[in-house]
Amino acid sequence: MSVARMTRRRSDVSWRLLGLSAVVAILIVLPIVIIAIQAFQGGTAALADALGASSSRTLLLNSVLVALVATPICGVIGLGAAWFVERTSLPGRRLWALLLVVPLTVPLFVTSYAWSTLSSGLQGFIGAAGIISFSYYPIVYLLVAVSLRGLDQALEDSARSLGLNPRQIFFRVIVPQLRPALLGGLLLVTLDTLVEFDAFVALKFQTFSLDVYAQYRLGFSTSGAAALSFFSIALCIILLLTEGRLRGNANYTRVSRGARRAPVRYELGRWVLPVLAGVGGVVAIGVGIPVGMLIRWFTQSSSAGLSSASGNLQFLWPATRTTVLLGVSSALVALVFALPVAMLAIRHGGRFARLVERSTYLSYALPDLVGGIALSYGAVHYARFLYGSFGLLVFAEAVLFVPFAVVAMRATLGQIEPALEDSARALGSGPFATFRRVTMPLARPGALAAAVLVFAFSLGDLATTQVLLPLNLFTLGTEFQNNSGSVALASAAPFAAVLMVLAMAAAYVLMSRFGTVRAFADGDRG
Amino acid sequence: MAELRCSSLAKSYGARAVLDEVDLVVPEGTLTAILGASGSGKTTLLRLIIGFIAPDRGTISVDGSVVAAAGGLQVAPDKRAIGYVAQEGALFPHLTVAENVAFGLPRGERRKGSRTKEALDLVGLGSDYAARRPHELSGGEQRRVGLARALAPKPRIVLLDEPFSGLDAHLRAETREAVTAALAAEGATAVLVTHDQAEALSMGREVAVLRSGRLAQTATPSVLYRAPVDLDVARFVGDAVVVLGQAGAGFVDCVLGRLRTPDSTAAGKVEVMIRPEQIGLVRTADAPARADDPVLADVIGHHYYGPDSLVQLRLRDDARTLISARTLEIDIPEAGDVVGLAVSGPVAVYPVQEPET
Repeated sequence: MSVARMTRRRSDVSWRLLGLSAVVAILIVLPIVIIAIQAFQGGTAALADALGASSSRTLLLNSVLVALVATPICGVIGLGAAWFVERTSLPGRRLWALLLVVPLTVPLFVTSYAWSTLSSGLQGFIGAAGIISFSYYPIVYLLVAVSLRGLDQALEDSARSLGLNPRQIFFRVIVPQLRPALLGGLLLVTLDTLVEFDAFVALKFQTFSLDVYAQYRLGFSTSGAAALSFFSIALCIILLLTEGRLRGNANYTRVSRGARRAPVRYELGRWVLPVLAGVGGVVAIGVGIPVGMLIRWFTQSSSAGLSSASGNLQFLWPATRTTVLLGVSSALVALVFALPVAMLAIRHGGRFARLVERSTYLSYALPDLVGGIALSYGAVHYARFLYGSFGLLVFAEAVLFVPFAVVAMRATLGQIEPALEDSARALGSGPFATFRRVTMPLARPGALAAAVLVFAFSLGDLATTQVLLPLNLFTLGTEFQNNSGSVALASAAPFAAVLMVLAMAAAYVLMSRFGTVRAFADGDRG
Repeated sequence: MAELRCSSLAKSYGARAVLDEVDLVVPEGTLTAILGASGSGKTTLLRLIIGFIAPDRGTISVDGSVVAAAGGLQVAPDKRAIGYVAQEGALFPHLTVAENVAFGLPRGERRKGSRTKEALDLVGLGSDYAARRPHELSGGEQRRVGLARALAPKPRIVLLDEPFSGLDAHLRAETREAVTAALAAEGATAVLVTHDQAEALSMGREVAVLRSGRLAQTATPSVLYRAPVDLDVARFVGDAVVVLGQAGAGFVDCVLGRLRTPDSTAAGKVEVMIRPEQIGLVRTADAPARADDPVLADVIGHHYYGPDSLVQLRLRDDARTLISARTLEIDIPEAGDVVGLAVSGPVAVYPVQEPET
């Protein structure tokens, strides 16, 4: 019998948890169902037109090409950065850890604007691939870093005693153990790239999502948009399936019990300068370009530009308020959605549980914009009272970013020993009391990380917001967008500045929590 | 505290039957040890009793009232008032020792703290432990706090899942004593699950041997050790010497002579099970071999354990038969010595299934 079978404590399925998760899964899949309805609304002819157009094939190819180039780069940067920060004597590790994550939380529409104003040479394919590479590698970085912290030092020690040198250990012992995290990260990057929209607008790079947007804007042809997005969803399902197969038996739970020793850090020696230069270069591109350009927008603007900027300041506070409110509400709703699904995935191994969990990842494949359009369409046709409401926007963002929350909560909940919850039940706590008194306090660091992640992504979302934001409201993102078209970039700069501050704050909270997640879970092993 | 009764319990996962026809009665105020190898279904039985899983067949009742019936009533774990001490204690890492112990108490008592203190006293931990965090405790202390936490709400039954696994020998003995004392002081009805024979035999009023999902035998430790139902159980609960013999009424003839057996029904060809400590060594120097009486054997070697030793012997009359004898003597016979053998006490016999030809 396998180790996994032995260690997973089977409990009978809790129907309440199953029901709750199923409801969440249905809500999450809802936009996709609406898209299906939309796609066939225009009749098969319109559908065939949209799918058959040679332009859409070229655009699809564009998206795939960017993904093909950017994904391996993300993998190399993410894996390397995680290794050097977590396992070597790199000077200033804490600061690097923070700076390496910032590009993920900085809104992509700001980054892409920064790149496009830096040099016109960065427009088009090179810029697109570059932005994706240097904005999405933190996904790989974070997942691999978590995995690195969970490794058992004893395995490396054994490998050493069997005669392997550090390089061999890295490739033959460490990397195989990191495979699930690495593959998971690469999968997320690929999917994200396929559905990315905001990043490419300023770069004038024609991709698939952009075409979907054009179809929607110009002809209000929702069926075409829906049909096109079917491509990405199909791709996503294929990737999800293959990822499951690639992972296969790579379920490396720690076999041995007993105290886990803190991992050893390798001395960099004469490699310290090259490594510093490499990590510094990554940060310079990922953080330096947006921040640098932001400063230039302020300093190099004409007095007319600056005066229009100061005229815009009155909108700054309400925009910030709406943005934060939207981010916090989306994060909370996403957490509420993610909790039962993550619990189910951790505690019950069955096929149905896996189906429910996987279905929540489907919204990942949904281009933000298409999701927004689908929900607004759905609201108009089936729930008029929701149309144009703030609540619908919150729901949309929660649904779009819930996969991140599920992944983060899964990781945290997975570290909680089932025996703790069992003990609480045996001591007379009901399921909810157990959740409140044991599960939640232990999962708090991870839940906060998940919430901050969703918050950061909602900062970076422009597409959904533009479609679903109530008419009388505006966010930092929409104001940035409205002003960035004008000659005076200074008028857009204040909104970008506040967005940056929020993004960095999010990154900071994320990283400070990140440090405690593992330490806390280890506390009980003593 | 209360009586626990399991009747014809069965549970399977898919096609794999984990438990089958398990009948178990734990009388009020006693401790029954469930002894089984890993994979025998011990943990499943425990989880059925606590209520984390439901039986496929059979019922579980506490003091005559049913708490779980296959396909019917299934009282939730938190409503059963069955205490549970998980492996390695499973203390809540975010709570102090006192908060852990108070966890299952009603809100009012939680604040008062008197029962918390009482429960900690029960397991021999003073009030200076109250404010500590679980990771500041040694392994043995963690188990004790786990027991205190389970006992605090005065459960009807306490279940202990491998409570001493992973402790070193000294800590194990000490923790075992503290746990036994605490359980006795509370008059607890307890079920202890273990794979350790010595632990089961020394702690249980009764020991139930679980073998591939079925209870092979439930008996007091001495009956289980001296009269196991079959050779499998005999070998599982301790070392066994097995030789062939011819049984009569109340006795059996074998290479070790005519031995007493309480089994008067057995007749014909049997397997004789003798515990190594039943075989006494007679030094031939002190008592020169007489032709008619003692069985002679050559010493091949020995395993030294400290308090006792296991001596390997080859019989003079039957060179194919190798047996071992446990001796408490300081002066252990060396390889090459010749000794006489004398078996004391009754032995167990098992009819030999004649192969059909």
